[in-house]
Amino acid sequence: MTALLETRGVWQRFGGLVANSDVSISVGRGEIVGLIGPNGAGKSTLFNLIAGVLPPTQGSIWFDGEDVTALPAAERCQRGVGRTFQVVKSFETMTVIDNVIVGALVRNTVMREARRKAHEVLEFTGLAARADVLASDLVPAEKRRLEVARALATEPKLLLLDEVLTGLTPTEAQTGVALVRKVRDTGVTVLMVEHVMEIVMPLVDRAIVLDLGKVLVEGKPADIVRDPKVISAYLGDRHAVSA
Amino acid sequence: MDKTFAARRRRDLIIAAVLAGLAALAPLVIKDVYVQNILILTLMYAALSQSWNILSGYCGQISLGHALYFGIGAYTTELLFTKFGVLPWFGMLAGGVIAAVIAMGLGYPFFRLRGHYFVIATIVIAEIGLLLFQNWEWAGAAMGITIPVRGDSWLKFQFMRSKLPYFYFALALCSLAWFVTWWLEDSKWGFWWRAVKDNPEAAESLGVVVFNSKMGAAAVSAFLVALGGAFYAQFLAYIDPESVMGFQFSLLMALPAVLGGIGTLWGPVLGAAILIPMTELTRSYIGGSGRGVDLIVYGALIVAISLALPQGLVSLFSRSKAKGATR
Repeated sequence: MTALLETRGVWQRFGGLVANSDVSISVGRGEIVGLIGPNGAGKSTLFNLIAGVLPPTQGSIWFDGEDVTALPAAERCQRGVGRTFQVVKSFETMTVIDNVIVGALVRNTVMREARRKAHEVLEFTGLAARADVLASDLVPAEKRRLEVARALATEPKLLLLDEVLTGLTPTEAQTGVALVRKVRDTGVTVLMVEHVMEIVMPLVDRAIVLDLGKVLVEGKPADIVRDPKVISAYLGDRHAVSA
Repeated sequence: MDKTFAARRRRDLIIAAVLAGLAALAPLVIKDVYVQNILILTLMYAALSQSWNILSGYCGQISLGHALYFGIGAYTTELLFTKFGVLPWFGMLAGGVIAAVIAMGLGYPFFRLRGHYFVIATIVIAEIGLLLFQNWEWAGAAMGITIPVRGDSWLKFQFMRSKLPYFYFALALCSLAWFVTWWLEDSKWGFWWRAVKDNPEAAESLGVVVFNSKMGAAAVSAFLVALGGAFYAQFLAYIDPESVMGFQFSLLMALPAVLGGIGTLWGPVLGAAILIPMTELTRSYIGGSGRGVDLIVYGALIVAISLALPQGLVSLFSRSKAKGATR
């Protein structure tokens, strides 16, 4: 079976800065894949390329067996790519339910159905009690959850989570982890950028480590954490030698 | 599910129907032509502001150039009528369609601009339109067009003896603009527009085609405003560029919505109901002194309302008051 998502030799340059160089990764159906790496490794850039915020300088992106490199973000969403933002981008003047309805309208053209779908998703993500609250009145952890809810309402095949667990308290992070598992159990493939290794590693099936814009290593989480290349990328060479 | 939501929508519709019914009965009590005149203008500006609110309130693309579409509605109607004998009713529709097409044509380059730059572009474009009409000989240039009087007739939409037909048309226009807004508010377009206003990037990630949303809002908004312009031209029976395309119209479309509550269903009507009579009354009672006292009072009232209720007058009625308390 072909992979759900594939990037083939993707480059992204911003002026003289190379954010991604020759990145080729693939994500299989039903997987939870973690995209990790130190600050400035090019994770967010790669995410934006996959979501269609900007086109790559070079290379191509394949989703569900088709070349989607030229498609804008809205169309990728229609094809089944859902995403969250690292810095939350709620629709602040709208209620929680209305935020989610915007997402639900991708697959439901009748308002009543979109609204029902949105309620379902709020139930699923544990936000049902907050449905009629303005998004601007949510606490940060709830806003993260709303990001996920909105993306899920678009009924994605692939869900891109951009640091949804970062900056949460340990309890909040645990609920977040449970939610990601629950999402995967409904058949959605998950690709998540995460910073905090100890949270992601137990969660993901496979991890891809980016460093300086390149794929450093990829593999099972247990192997990744012991890999000297990864340790040196995160902590510097001295630690790698002693490990 | 969501009974409260459906109930709220129904309640809005009932309130609107009752208000429109009461307004329709108003001429039974109000016989004074001067007051009737104020009512007509109030209804017209309520309709215009409601239309402006679709693009600028819901979709968040602040336009201070809507006078252009107002003028296009007026000029299309009168040029077709005086030059080709086309009845104003058809001229009105033609004006609406032309305004909508122009709005989309202008949107194509200008919707790439954000925030203040977009606002500046709308002002500049409307001024260019004004200058073009001032120099367009065939359209009467700065002299304008006098609409020939053919006697009272619904067919020609012309009434000399009584202002009442204009009153009822203005009421119908206002009801139409309100109803269109009400209907769009709970539609895919309504949700797309609000999403675009709040955060275009997030909207795009949720499948909203931001550019098309703005184009749709611009077309509906310009169409309805042009209907208002056509009405105004018939009402005045004389038009020139300054009197149907001047910058003051752009302001008088924006102000009621802003004062009443921008991006809300009731804001424009509420704002117009207070602002327009205020404009007329301050002008007639304390204007004419040659010292601009009326404008000072008028300006001071606007500032006072804005300071006291930055969310607009609707916040006096809406749930947002309770929400403010819980924050």
